[in-house]
Amino acid sequence: MDAFEQHVRAGLAYLGHDVDETEIAIMRVADGVYGPQLRALVDADLTGVWPEPEMDAGRAPSSRFPAGLE
Amino acid sequence: MSAHPQDLSLREQAAAVASGTLDAAELLEATFARIDERDGELNSVVVRFPEEAARMLADAPPGPLNGVPVAVKDMFRLPWYGPRDGAPGQAAPPGESAVYRRLRDAGAVIVGVTQCHFWGAGSTGHVSAWGPCGNPWNPAHCAGGSSGGSAAAVGARLVAAAVGTDGGGSVRLPAAYCGVTGLKATFGAIDVEGYTHGYSDMGAIGPMCRDAADARLFGEVLSGRTYTRGDGRPLRVGVVRDPCWTNLDPEIERACDSALDAAGWERVELSIAGAEHQQAAALVCLTIQSLPMVRPGDLEEADPILRALTKFELLMTPVIVHQAARIRSLLRREVAAAFGSCDVLAWPTVPAPAPPIENPTVELPSGRAPADPGNLRQTGFGNLTGLPGISVPVGTHTSGLPMALQLQAPWGEEARLFDAAEHLEDSTAREFVDAAPSLAAQSSRS
Repeated sequence: MDAFEQHVRAGLAYLGHDVDETEIAIMRVADGVYGPQLRALVDADLTGVWPEPEMDAGRAPSSRFPAGLE
Repeated sequence: MSAHPQDLSLREQAAAVASGTLDAAELLEATFARIDERDGELNSVVVRFPEEAARMLADAPPGPLNGVPVAVKDMFRLPWYGPRDGAPGQAAPPGESAVYRRLRDAGAVIVGVTQCHFWGAGSTGHVSAWGPCGNPWNPAHCAGGSSGGSAAAVGARLVAAAVGTDGGGSVRLPAAYCGVTGLKATFGAIDVEGYTHGYSDMGAIGPMCRDAADARLFGEVLSGRTYTRGDGRPLRVGVVRDPCWTNLDPEIERACDSALDAAGWERVELSIAGAEHQQAAALVCLTIQSLPMVRPGDLEEADPILRALTKFELLMTPVIVHQAARIRSLLRREVAAAFGSCDVLAWPTVPAPAPPIENPTVELPSGRAPADPGNLRQTGFGNLTGLPGISVPVGTHTSGLPMALQLQAPWGEEARLFDAAEHLEDSTAREFVDAAPSLAAQSSRS
């Protein structure tokens, strides 16, 4: 069992979910497709960028909100 | 006038009923006959409402769509129908959604519910409790998702207008696949009451029609706003080369380039910081907002692939959720600044034409890949930022499938998108919005 499968099995068991071999295989494919982009997002250097407080996606961001520590 | 009233545009149907040259009861009867005739291969209108439609017609008030048949995606509460989100069980009980009230008050007649990708969680429409939805240009290919049924029904000329929803591209992507015009409204511009994904700040509702003028009319009905035509001045078009014009089917890239050339608009090359992370950020935001909505028992009834993916998503870490929120913040600030130097953004709606239902993968310069990731890369930006976006048919691929360009405008500027789409249609002599797929053409000739 490789690290991926250990992670999935242990994580889902902790959350109270079973997982079978087919599901592991599907997850492995998904990880192959999306994993690199997701890991790049985790690793992205977003120094100085803050989440937008009280975001209203229907409007432009408020100029009053601080963009971050730039 | 065409032999069949469903070969008329939405606005022509509305005008003909209003003037008395088309009897609304005959239009309704012809619409159900057209659905019976053409939908077998497509599976786009999965629930039909002959009795309820007759009642709506009998009670229809005067309005901009008086007596005109329309369809709605399987995500809206109707007084007589609880939406299923493409799953086996009801996602919500019957009731009056805001979209239902808008349509009823405009005098429209809801003839049925359109197919939806399972839980709305896919861009191909090949996974659904209703079964896959075929593309009117080639029923062996995907109609798209998650509003594939709405796109296919309009593309096949079963109805002239259908309601779609777009949480990660789900109006724009199937519109592109099926050669119809689809608008994702600005977040919140169309009331989400009674929409099963109304909890999400990624999702928006939108009209799906044959061309921009019909989409403008239908959008006005759905939003209760007026989208006034502008002065027709040339636009400055923002082109975000990387990543939005990379790794595309070469024919799609050429068709979109040619459409911009034909429009004669000034192009402005732009760089948007964080754009390289839009696909991942959109995926994370969609996932994290939908996971709490999965009820006990939903996983057991889920499609096996979605069940596995949902379990996998439960392992997402808080760090990535926070990173996605930061990217979203960055993109919104970046694009707000970008609109200081351009009027609209333009890039291809999809990187490749509709894939086969049997194997929903696409051929890209980087190799063969599942359709979903590339699609989300092209459309997730609009959902993260909340911008309105429209998909406009701009070509026909050598495979015979449609190709489309996506335009996005500042928040609340839907009218600018309709204007721009109409200009694109005129610049291409309406070749691609007036084109009818062979199943439609054969029947309208008979």
